[in-house]
Amino acid sequence: MTNAPYSADTTALRDETALRRVRHFGSARNGLQEWRLQRLTAVAMIPLGLYFAASILRLATSDQLGAAAWLASPIPALLVILFVLAGLTHAFIGLRSVLLDYVHTRARLLAAELLVRAAAIILGAASVLAVLKLFLGR
Amino acid sequence: MERPLSPFMFPMWYRFQITSALSILHRLTGIGLAVGSILLAWWLVAVAAGGQLFAATHAFIASPIGIILLFLWSVAFFYHLCNGIRHLVWDAGYGFELRQAYRSGYAVLAATVLLTVLAWLYVLLA
Repeated sequence: MTNAPYSADTTALRDETALRRVRHFGSARNGLQEWRLQRLTAVAMIPLGLYFAASILRLATSDQLGAAAWLASPIPALLVILFVLAGLTHAFIGLRSVLLDYVHTRARLLAAELLVRAAAIILGAASVLAVLKLFLGR
Repeated sequence: MERPLSPFMFPMWYRFQITSALSILHRLTGIGLAVGSILLAWWLVAVAAGGQLFAATHAFIASPIGIILLFLWSVAFFYHLCNGIRHLVWDAGYGFELRQAYRSGYAVLAATVLLTVLAWLYVLLA
């Protein structure tokens, strides 16, 4: 078998030259996955968001008992948890794409990305815990 | 010669166009809503904790600043929702003609105003 020299249009799956070339321009692995997750969470948030917006604008100025009773019932508890998780996932991907456009040094990009990711995880966990406490403690 | 770089072409170097303005607005409202998720998590925790934390949170939301933030949240939310649907239609491959892009842009603005007004009428009348 002869060793064919590399040509510019080599597209073998494990071709390291091609892989490095792709990486130079960005991710060679999961760009589509992120794009798709952004759209999936967007579609999920059309009904979840309408439900949430209608509920929260009415409840935001209500007393604690009213809000607690709402979050203790199963359907609102479920939908609020799903809304928060879909929303934070969607927000993280969106914020990351903004950072990729405006932060041009690798160290700063990594630091900003870690910060946004940590914030999303903490906010998500805190929100889920709060709803679960109300739901389980009713 | 100092050349302008891509994200900062508007509005100094590009003529105002509703399409690019709406695109920037989509990002700005997205960032705003992401920041708003801090307030949402705070509110949920406050409801779960009750007592003094809820009293302080409730006082903040009921204050003029709180109501203004809530109103801005609703406008940003409805805009991002409507324009997001516009983006999903583009992702599906429809509506790329210039006339259609302009029309859908105006439709998004109209739908944002309509949804915001309906939502607050519902809040104030309920």
